[in-house]
Amino acid sequence: MGKLLSKDFLSGVMFIAFGLIALYFGQKLALGTPVRMGPGYVPRMLSFILIGLGLVICIVAVATSPEPTEKPRWKPIGLVTLGVVCFGLLFERAGLLPAMIALIFIASNAGEEFDLKEVIGNMVALAILCTLVFKVGLGMNISIVKGIW
Amino acid sequence: MDMLQNLALGLSVALTLQNLTYALIGCVVGTLIGVLPGIGPVATIAMLLPITFHLPPVAALIMLAGIYYGAQYGGSTTSILVNLPGEAASVVTCLDGHQMAKRGRAGAALSISAVGSFFAGTVGTILIVAFAEPLTRMAQKFGPADYCSLMALGLVAAVVLASGSVIKAIAMVFLGLLFGLIGTDVNTGAQRFTFDIPELSDGIDFAPIAMGLFGIAEIVVNLERRLARTSAVKVDSLWPTREEVRRAIPAALRGTALGATLGVLPGGGPTLGAFSSYTLEKRISKNPQEFGKGAVEGVAAPEAANNAAAQTSFIPMLTLGIPSNAVMALMVGAMIIQGIQPGPEVMTKKPDLFWGMIVSMWIGNLMLVIINLPMIGMWVKLLTVPYRFLAPAILLFCCIGAYSLQNSTFHVMQVAAFGVLGYIFARLGCEGAPFLLGLVLGPQMEEYFRRAMLLSRGDPSVFVERPISLGLLIVTAFLLILMALPAVKKARTEAFKEEG
Repeated sequence: MGKLLSKDFLSGVMFIAFGLIALYFGQKLALGTPVRMGPGYVPRMLSFILIGLGLVICIVAVATSPEPTEKPRWKPIGLVTLGVVCFGLLFERAGLLPAMIALIFIASNAGEEFDLKEVIGNMVALAILCTLVFKVGLGMNISIVKGIW
Repeated sequence: MDMLQNLALGLSVALTLQNLTYALIGCVVGTLIGVLPGIGPVATIAMLLPITFHLPPVAALIMLAGIYYGAQYGGSTTSILVNLPGEAASVVTCLDGHQMAKRGRAGAALSISAVGSFFAGTVGTILIVAFAEPLTRMAQKFGPADYCSLMALGLVAAVVLASGSVIKAIAMVFLGLLFGLIGTDVNTGAQRFTFDIPELSDGIDFAPIAMGLFGIAEIVVNLERRLARTSAVKVDSLWPTREEVRRAIPAALRGTALGATLGVLPGGGPTLGAFSSYTLEKRISKNPQEFGKGAVEGVAAPEAANNAAAQTSFIPMLTLGIPSNAVMALMVGAMIIQGIQPGPEVMTKKPDLFWGMIVSMWIGNLMLVIINLPMIGMWVKLLTVPYRFLAPAILLFCCIGAYSLQNSTFHVMQVAAFGVLGYIFARLGCEGAPFLLGLVLGPQMEEYFRRAMLLSRGDPSVFVERPISLGLLIVTAFLLILMALPAVKKARTEAFKEEG
């Protein structure tokens, strides 16, 4: 079981999966002939190569003693991703300020230390900086708070 | 003299107030991120790509180039003073640089490294000027089949010289090529892998992918392992002793030569240059036991090498349009955002951009010596900024930058998605750089491949019948066979061991 959870074996599986996904979604694309290649020719070729390489990586991983995968820690990646997604959802609906408060609050929780006073200070500093750089400096068409500014 | 005329044109472009300002901004930002651990030049350039969209092309490229070589300077400062490499190429500088600092020679180590870097940067710039024209002329003779083989060589060489498992890196290249095909097929207009998302029909955007893979993933990995902090050594006099200078000069010369050579190679770059020149110095030194205890050569050589390599790695990108490492891939991306197709045409069609950028690199190097030496105290203070302040700031800049690409939150979501993918890559030990190279070259490579096959009426032997293409493919095959040999494999693993 250890070998199947190694970095090498899992990355082989990942490459095979990408190859299969590309084959599945590319099946409607016309192949064409080698002279006049259709849109599907090169993608199909790449998918087969990826699947082949993935298989080789898996076989090598089983045959040797590969490095085990470290146990993933869900908090940092989960919270950082959640923060970015919240930013994306809030930015156009509510403006830069609410979006960035959400992002900084969520992302600050991803680390080990969390001090509310510090986080608020960080927010204020970044809010001023971003407004100056993006809105005033680069003249980007963004609203700081939707409907107000 | 053509070369002098070109340089004069370059000077006239680089010395405008606007371009000088952007060169300075680039150098300052570069030094800053070089000093700060946990964020490197790749992530920074990826983050700033969308902003360059708002700038004129010359200014944008000058600024990005400044970040790249500025990071080399900044990285050495923290390596010497706090034994904390700001970025990968200065890992070796820690070995002897910090030991020198501990013995009270911090100032000397800093000035040797800054002056050595400046000298190497100057040589690198001269080499770019010398090689640009002949290489460009050669590239103009290339047919589609030759180009396809050249890209194959570039990609394979990049993989061979990168650290980590070769076969995984090759698979990452192919995965990158596959992602590069997303969008509308140029020849037939068919939608490929767009899943009816209108934003994807112009092709998948390069900047959000780079931000996700390098920016977000890097932040998460850093948050997981918690960066350690040590206090900085005090800086005394900046002047090295005569003995130190006597030992540093030949070492810096050798470092420059080795770094400049390795920088041109695909997959080469500052990190490889620094590591190799340190090994070389240790091997030829009369007192190898001094290395690791504060040998002057161990600072001068790798510092010169990483800067020389940072400069010369622009050569294949500017003349052939082939990026040799992740930063160059981002530069290609920046050019494409500006509507410039990198390749041999850049020099003939946009001479002001080409020569202006080259000359500004030299000016930037000069600025860096001035920024770095007198202001060292200020840079060191920055080290006390904890990562928990930096991480949200970096994330925020990524998000706003991604949005500003096309004023659409779709790109912000794309950053999130590729952040997750980048994290998976990092956990599985798959390198992001080969993926990025494949992604950048994918669309062009397919185009050349299809054109070559059309011209040869579907006969794949065109790739081995044209002498240029055949030569390139033989070198590619040779590299691949070399990698399979056990002796080479072992040497390669050892060479990258210190990098960790």
